[in-house]
Amino acid sequence: MRRGLGLSLIIAAGLAGGSRAPAAAQEPRLAGRLPDPVRVQVDALLDSARAAGLPTEPLVDRALEGASKRADGVRIVTAVRRLAGELGAARDALGLESSPAEVTAGASALRAGARAGDLHRLRVLRARQSVTVAAAVLADLVAVGVPPDTAAAAVIALARSADDATYLAFRRNVERDVALGASPVAALGVRLTATGGATAEYPGPRKP
Amino acid sequence: MRDGDRVVDRVVEMLKEPVRIDPVLDRRVMAELAQVPAPRRTTGIVALTGWLVRKRTIAVSPLGGLAAAAGIALAVLAGRAWVFPTAHHEPALTTTAAVSPGADTRAIQFVVLAPRASSVTLVGDFNDWDETATPMSRAVGNGLWSVTVPLAPGRYRYSFLVDGNRWEPDPEAPRALGDDFGRPNSVVTVGGS
Amino acid sequence: MGIEGVTESADATLVRRVLAGDTEAYAGLVARYRDRLGRYAVRMLGNQADAEEALQETFIRGYRSLGRCTEPERFGAWLFGILVNRCRTAGAQRARRDRTVIADEAAMARAAVWDESDRHAWRETIRWALGRLAPAHREAFLLKHVEELSYEEMVGLTGASVPALKMRVLRAREELCRLLQEVERA
Repeated sequence: MRRGLGLSLIIAAGLAGGSRAPAAAQEPRLAGRLPDPVRVQVDALLDSARAAGLPTEPLVDRALEGASKRADGVRIVTAVRRLAGELGAARDALGLESSPAEVTAGASALRAGARAGDLHRLRVLRARQSVTVAAAVLADLVAVGVPPDTAAAAVIALARSADDATYLAFRRNVERDVALGASPVAALGVRLTATGGATAEYPGPRKP
Repeated sequence: MRDGDRVVDRVVEMLKEPVRIDPVLDRRVMAELAQVPAPRRTTGIVALTGWLVRKRTIAVSPLGGLAAAAGIALAVLAGRAWVFPTAHHEPALTTTAAVSPGADTRAIQFVVLAPRASSVTLVGDFNDWDETATPMSRAVGNGLWSVTVPLAPGRYRYSFLVDGNRWEPDPEAPRALGDDFGRPNSVVTVGGS
Repeated sequence: MGIEGVTESADATLVRRVLAGDTEAYAGLVARYRDRLGRYAVRMLGNQADAEEALQETFIRGYRSLGRCTEPERFGAWLFGILVNRCRTAGAQRARRDRTVIADEAAMARAAVWDESDRHAWRETIRWALGRLAPAHREAFLLKHVEELSYEEMVGLTGASVPALKMRVLRAREELCRLLQEVERA
């Protein structure tokens, strides 16, 4: 993939070049938190993401998390690179006009196991509305145990009709039902029906 | 009416008879409640809904295990706002993630039960994962640690750092998916306008 | 039910008082719902001891989550939902605990003497027959016929669809008929 190759070149240059590394903008918050070689790589990734129009805040956070947890440099760079890839994929699926919040939420959804096609459908179905909450709710549903395909189908089923408040109420209700002992998929089905979201697009959980 | 229906009707008639439970149950319940934190309504200015205690996280949480043994409920978190922002914010490179109180922030309280800890800090996206930034305070007389943080609308990953060396997710909160560094995180979502 | 000689406060009033800090007010709710919930728990779990345990857990959990009871006027229904879940868990645990295998069901059925006037024996027989049902069928049967809930309400409590619930109730009726008529014939 073009983007990946670009990153590799920058990183290779950074590693090989030492003081001759390209003068990427430096993220001040990484100062003193990461060893220099790691910091150079992360700055390069940030630079590339910025150039691609992707939000960099999540990447900085991820690097800082790794620093805080005393993870080794390779792991930190891998984590940042992985997230950058997800942000890029989310932006590809959601369109170039997507806001940073939408892209970030989309990346969470992909990490949760949604497919790029699911995000694309969300965008299409929601037309002018933001997909931030819908994508975030998808990730949250997976976090309480709903299989990714099922969560995606449910969120898509609501996409045309639900406003953000409805999505959030839906997620709260599913979480509450699960906490009271319902199985995640059962809770999802019940709440989806109650929200009026059961449609041809979501006749029920997909078989694996 | 078929014989079968008649039989079932008689069964139902008997099953509907009232059952008398020994009223000593009331005293047992009230005695157990004495050790449970008083419930608070979780609606209001800041919170739209409370965190739910998830059965499986009670079982696996190392901090909660102690609580269960002592019959003390895990602290219910108050003050969580749940609506995700519709206002988008474009983070600039020079903006620090550490949030100072402003017009758009909400006061979010984090609470965890850790009776044997000597220190607990809150670490997450909102304080640049700086383990010195947000120490938590221990309530007198019990093992509850808490801190209230002003957060701008957004979605944040975080974790508790216990005794400076042990990372614990929040047993009351949803997990962040896919942890990159071997220790799981939790997610909090803060409402916006 | 309720506390005799005292003006009864509505559920919503008591709930609000508890949330305002008056823990003792919860005792009024416990007293009010103890027998009512107890009936379902006893029928579902088959014995008083397990039922009381499930009830106690239900009341405790109801107290802990009281802040999330969004409609205090419907406290009873909300608490009942918690009980249904508790009974499901308790039933599963019990099934694991006592794996008594009844070698001869027919003999067991005959052992409960079938005498129209012997209400105690008849109760025991019903309890035995109910216990023979699959838990999901027993649950559906009790919710529909004894608790007299609508199928829509049952969907909310069980997570199953209306057709599935109707099927369960039907199966429960058929099985009860079969078991009890066997007893009669014996």
